[in-house]
Amino acid sequence: MDPESLLALVETEHPSIRRRSHADRPAVSVPSGELLAVMTTLRDHADLRFDLLLTLTAVDFPGEDRFELLYRLYSTVHGLWLIVSSDVPRSRPVAPSVSSLWPIAEWQEREAYDLMGVLYDNHPDLRRVFLEDDWVGYPLRKDYQDEYMLELPK
Amino acid sequence: MGVALGKLPGIVERFPGGAMAITRLDAAINLARSNSLWPLMFGTKCCAIEMLMATGASHHDLARFGAEVARASVRQADLMVIAGAIVKKMAPRMRLLYEQMAEPRYVIATGSCAISGGPFMYNSYTVVRGADEVVPVDVYVPGCPPRPEAFFWGLLTLQRMIREGETIREPGIRRKPVMAALPEDVSLHEIRAEIRAALANENVIDVTQAANQKPWARKVREWIQRASLR
Repeated sequence: MDPESLLALVETEHPSIRRRSHADRPAVSVPSGELLAVMTTLRDHADLRFDLLLTLTAVDFPGEDRFELLYRLYSTVHGLWLIVSSDVPRSRPVAPSVSSLWPIAEWQEREAYDLMGVLYDNHPDLRRVFLEDDWVGYPLRKDYQDEYMLELPK
Repeated sequence: MGVALGKLPGIVERFPGGAMAITRLDAAINLARSNSLWPLMFGTKCCAIEMLMATGASHHDLARFGAEVARASVRQADLMVIAGAIVKKMAPRMRLLYEQMAEPRYVIATGSCAISGGPFMYNSYTVVRGADEVVPVDVYVPGCPPRPEAFFWGLLTLQRMIREGETIREPGIRRKPVMAALPEDVSLHEIRAEIRAALANENVIDVTQAANQKPWARKVREWIQRASLR
């Protein structure tokens, strides 16, 4: 399936998604409310079968007051690539967990929670994974500060 | 000269007039300690590839300095080579390892990260700025990472410090930490070439020339000369 018909198929299944330009792979943007439904379709649709979640990560945009959640999917059945992104507000970063679809997402969501502070709904075990349990704050946020950090002198 | 006089300087001292005396037990103890440093198998970053793997392998061969017995247990080790950055999560654990080591214990910090935090000094949320915030360090070996030669330089510096340092009367009082930087443009090949040249100079003689310089040879030459004149 070529990228154009892949995107067209996803659009017919879920009309609320938007295509994203400037991406080297086919990329779509999904409202966070529909994320789980879209992901379920992508995994289970007979012509798509995205059975491999390669990466799950989050990007901080403090100026636009949003986190962008990124999911890179691959279909080992049809050899397809797809990048799915979804925006959550920075003030209330709650997103549905996809760990029920791909079990590997459980650890990757823990990492995104650990470093970015994205909260995943229905995650079985949302704890910190790299940092210690008593760590305060989320260090990969752009505005993270603590008293030990040194600013680079100008 | 035997082992005690030739190989163990400082134990036996000569007085003017020919008498000698055994001076310090500390010297013998320190000599033994300096030549049997057992490093802890502990590497936190890329420096560990140079410090504990490349130096331990056959080409550079840490065993020449009696420090090859890398132990996996702190209870058996007395040298901690801090090879790499220490993060906040690691720092209390490293401190625990240090406190579990038997005294006397020595610490070498290798590489920029272990000395000052290195490239992670500024704007880092997790890297501790220098291993000496966690444990006292005896020798700093600069480099990023240091070459095995540079690490040997630091190890030899530590051995010299141990030999000159602690006494059994005042355990724990030892020399201040030093920065042991290998002089510039020194590589293993240059050290080898230097040693080879020195061996060639010291160990090789021209036998004919040396034989002719002997005073008794001069005597015989005089006889021959006199006989030929007659």
